[in-house]
Amino acid sequence: MSRSARPLTSARVLHKIKELTTPATDGNFVTNRNPRNLERLRIAYKPTGYHLEKPGRSYWHTLEINTSGRYVSADVKHFENGTILSASTSEWAIKQQLYKTKDTSAFVNLGRVLAQRCLQAGITEMTCNVNAVAGSKLEKLLQAVQENGVSFQEPTRLPNTHPWDAYRHEKPWEVSEQTATVATKTSEVK
Amino acid sequence: MSFCNLLMKTGVNGGLCGTQTTALLLLNLSTRQGHTLRGKPPGVARTLEQRLRDENVSDPEVVARVNIGFPQLKPSRSAQLKTRLEHLKAQRASKELEQLARSNKLLIDLDKVQETYVQTTGQHDLRLLADHYGIFEHLFGSAYFVPRVPLSIRYELNADTFSPVYNGNVLKPAEVAKAPLVIFDGKLDPITSKSAQGDSYWTLLATNPDAHYTNPGAECLHWFIANIPNGKVGEGEILADYLPPFPPRGVGYQRMVFVLYKQQSRLDFSAHKLAATDYNNLEKRTFSTLDFYRQHQDELTPAGLAFYQTNWDESLTQFYHNVLQLKEPVYEYDYPKPYLADQKFFPLRQPFNLYMDKHRDSKQLNKEYLQRKLSQTHPFEGPEQPLRFPNAHPIRDVPSWLKTEIRKRRLGTGRVQDY
Repeated sequence: MSRSARPLTSARVLHKIKELTTPATDGNFVTNRNPRNLERLRIAYKPTGYHLEKPGRSYWHTLEINTSGRYVSADVKHFENGTILSASTSEWAIKQQLYKTKDTSAFVNLGRVLAQRCLQAGITEMTCNVNAVAGSKLEKLLQAVQENGVSFQEPTRLPNTHPWDAYRHEKPWEVSEQTATVATKTSEVK
Repeated sequence: MSFCNLLMKTGVNGGLCGTQTTALLLLNLSTRQGHTLRGKPPGVARTLEQRLRDENVSDPEVVARVNIGFPQLKPSRSAQLKTRLEHLKAQRASKELEQLARSNKLLIDLDKVQETYVQTTGQHDLRLLADHYGIFEHLFGSAYFVPRVPLSIRYELNADTFSPVYNGNVLKPAEVAKAPLVIFDGKLDPITSKSAQGDSYWTLLATNPDAHYTNPGAECLHWFIANIPNGKVGEGEILADYLPPFPPRGVGYQRMVFVLYKQQSRLDFSAHKLAATDYNNLEKRTFSTLDFYRQHQDELTPAGLAFYQTNWDESLTQFYHNVLQLKEPVYEYDYPKPYLADQKFFPLRQPFNLYMDKHRDSKQLNKEYLQRKLSQTHPFEGPEQPLRFPNAHPIRDVPSWLKTEIRKRRLGTGRVQDY
């Protein structure tokens, strides 16, 4: 019990935290340097934002849509890296096939192109804090993005559970497509 | 006596208060009645963002990045505008297109968009995306390049189904078992983006920066073809045969990066040649793109980039056993251990059993739980059947802490789940 006699200073707390967070050096571990890996596994840090802020800033990837007088552009933003992917009707690749660059069909086609680029970049889930009026061009854009395979529901972060907690969450690295399909099939049978 | 004092005090305070309020009014300050201000006042105190920015300050000269790719010789803007405006004018004059657009039936050709995109702004967007995936940082350190030559890489599944490699899409190991089909325009001059005369030679490298087991800074070499004449990949000199990616179970998503280099001339890469017997030797396949590039930077210039992510699937078990001849490794994410306050000799208001479990030797704890589990497991018939209605069986003549423990064991909550 000699440890209890030691005063709990901030330096000691920091020392303890450092001891807990330094990785083991026994060689029984590998490092995955992929910066997107932990986000895919739902372990990575995700900002919570401020309590009364609207729209919140709790996301890994989010969709932002900007309209100018003549063009529309849609950007995918990462909370740390900023804009990582964009599509705009001012781009020659899109513009050359459009009739007008800001009409309904331009919005819809921009949504299709953005969804295609997102899937090519391996970004299938993102948040979307865009408030679109029902039936508007903007809503059609968002619909086109969703119909072409991008989900606007980003999974929540799985917090680290303690050994004394009542429940454990699933281990995200053990969830594969095969187990997921088997699970859905068994639920269908039931 | 005391009453007198009180009177006097209030009198004194009243006198002071009057002067204080006038002073405050003069200074235009507000008093905080409810609480004292902790820290610096708003406006003076810096926000978290400002403080983080100041703490993580870096010298722009030190972190300046170097462009090692090809520059771009832009075509004449006026000539380009002329053709483009003509095209747009024709589009606006087209009755058919107008009808489609106005009836919301205009669906543009996405393949054509992609084709134009990779030749125009797509190169810069790919660079941004590669930065997002940490490709340049882990392959080239502080250098980067703009991929000027569009790479088309496809894994053939059947006669008419392909799994294409774009920039970060997820492909499963079962899809990427065989070497892909790589197509690029070998006659293209990366600087002017026009067809060039004469022979050109190219090098294609596929590496995985996340796959090395022992050295996290190294890469695994998966494919190496050099001296590809005029974009004909089949005629190139294969220095390392294609080895499919093998992300271990539990490690998550690894990146597989294809980098295309343009050579100045035909080169001799025999030092990098991997013998056929070393096909599955992971030690020999250790690679560092940065060292390789430093060695050949006078003759090689990176020109093309494509990458995908891949994670474990069931087909890899056979691959590990048959090809790599290894026991299949299984990993788990190493969560940080929970922070515990120092153990007290006499902890108040703490359930003694749970408190002791937190501070006991974890080996002893594991042993107890495992022993209890194994004692309830029949060697031939397996574990006991779980109770159908676990809460319906009364637990009698035991202290309350043990009652809770038994109930938790029956319901399968708490530490029991770990064993």
